[in-house]
Amino acid sequence: MIEIDQLVKRFGGVTAVDGLSFTVRPGHVTGFLGPNGAGKTTTMRLILGLDAPTSGTARVNDQNYQDLIRPLHQVGALLDATALHPGRTAEAHLASIARSNGIGRRRVTEMLKLTGLEAVASRRVKGFSLGMKQRLGIAAALLGDPPILMFDEPVNGLDTEGIAWIRQFLRALAADGRTVLVSSHLMSEMAQTADRLIVIGRGRLLADTTTAELISSSTRQDVLVRSPRAAELAGLMTARGATVNREDDGALAVTGLDAPAIGDLAASRGIAVHALIPRTASLEDAYLDLTGESVDFRAASPNTPEGPSPEPPSPSPEPASPSPEPASLSPEPASPSPEGAPAR
Amino acid sequence: MTVTDARPAPKSPAAAAAVPPVPLAVRARDVLISEWIKLRSVRSTYWTLLVAVVTPIGLSALVAVTLANAPGHGPALDPLLPGVLSQEYAVLAVGVLGVLTFSAEFSTGLVRTTFTAVPRRRAVLAAKAAVLGAVTLAAGEVVAFVSFGLVQAVLSGKHLGVSLSRPGVPGAVLASGLILFVVATMGLGLGAIVRHTAGGIAALVGLIVLPVILALLPPPWGARVSRFTLVEAARQVTALHPATNLFAPGLSLLVLLAWPALTLLAAALLMTRRDI
Repeated sequence: MIEIDQLVKRFGGVTAVDGLSFTVRPGHVTGFLGPNGAGKTTTMRLILGLDAPTSGTARVNDQNYQDLIRPLHQVGALLDATALHPGRTAEAHLASIARSNGIGRRRVTEMLKLTGLEAVASRRVKGFSLGMKQRLGIAAALLGDPPILMFDEPVNGLDTEGIAWIRQFLRALAADGRTVLVSSHLMSEMAQTADRLIVIGRGRLLADTTTAELISSSTRQDVLVRSPRAAELAGLMTARGATVNREDDGALAVTGLDAPAIGDLAASRGIAVHALIPRTASLEDAYLDLTGESVDFRAASPNTPEGPSPEPPSPSPEPASPSPEPASLSPEPASPSPEGAPAR
Repeated sequence: MTVTDARPAPKSPAAAAAVPPVPLAVRARDVLISEWIKLRSVRSTYWTLLVAVVTPIGLSALVAVTLANAPGHGPALDPLLPGVLSQEYAVLAVGVLGVLTFSAEFSTGLVRTTFTAVPRRRAVLAAKAAVLGAVTLAAGEVVAFVSFGLVQAVLSGKHLGVSLSRPGVPGAVLASGLILFVVATMGLGLGAIVRHTAGGIAALVGLIVLPVILALLPPPWGARVSRFTLVEAARQVTALHPATNLFAPGLSLLVLLAWPALTLLAAALLMTRRDI
């Protein structure tokens, strides 16, 4: 469990974290979301005691991080996978970290195997790809078999294969009963990985909810209707209290009536309906709704008028995931370990 | 996939939180060994030590040959001087090693992993100082005694040499073995303070060289200031015939050790206050 209470961090005149409070509980992957510069990394550093808070507290398992003895047994963290000495081998890197917390060589070897790095264990890390460094960072985080794990932007810069591997890995860790906090600015990624979401912007909490709730709370949910007698149908629906927007291609975007009601209404008047598509806002939209005002540096967009945008949310904006995922990565983290499941 | 150990009964998070108390001595030893693994797993350690050991040994023999063949021996030559002079060039190598020991962690960001694993930052500094100190002290004594042997072998051909059994000689040779240790640990402290390799090296060179310039002050200020400098303190403790206008060798030894001690103290004080 990670508990953040009224956490504030100022760097000179800049407030990076501004009165943040939330709790991260075990058994879920909790996504930690926010635009770049929202304060995610700073918050994680405050949790790890690397930065001192201006005020407020960040506690792990009811303790301040600095008071933990051999903390790797309680918290595993991956902040920056590239933070390695280029001349050190993967094995020596892990061994030096492990030893500082009294963890033996056997565990180092196991973690190298688990992350598929055993073949390159004795190679200097300067030749490693970003994906390999991410794996090495995960191996380091898991050395102490900790109940709490934190990853800062673990999929940044990874290819599809690497993203799929990490996603499955995180889910398996949570299924094990661990507390897993993963930061990202990539909404699409979090939609597929996280059960719970903590959204921040400019250092403040914007939402602390489940992924499903965040999507459903978004205002952008409607039904797309196509009909040869669109105008007539639009009048009928408006009479029933619905809000109807006409889209460029003549389709109707309807809110306030659900698809069955629209279908029944049309049938009762003998109006043919060519399309009737319920559209759910993507997490991306929900996220943009939340963070829209809190983006520090947003690009000026010429065609973003005030008020509700007339253009609809695209039906399925999930660009990051071509579904047939290559299942070829060495250690297959798909099934949670049988012995890891109980009582976590 | 097995995220947990292959042990039959996985511990619950509650059990993991209640880590059995580990004696401080064991934890200290583990941090020490961790730093030892780090030091010996990078090439720069070997290169800098090689330079620090081979250069002064070779140089000292060369200086001895030159002195032995100098026409007409002027005022009494200190037979220990060649061994010390040659070390003054080697100190830069271990100084760089000392700075790198911390600055490389800052420049790569590895220091965050280190301090996440060991939140007691001063324990890390102490472990690094102990490991680096032990290695450079061993290297320094090897240099001191091998150089001494070579130099005296050369000088004795001209009946200028001294034997190790002569009073004052063993102490001076031992003390000359301290020089690498002193500069390396001082470099370590500066690397931790400046957190930047180039800056740390510049600071180290500055602290060694700049005070020497103060020796040029008009008398008696020149001598009064220069007896506090690293260079003069090192010469005093390693000379067979110490200068009379500077501190006595015992006090000079304190000056010599005070430089790295104060640097490490400053590093320790700053270390817990700063964000990483």
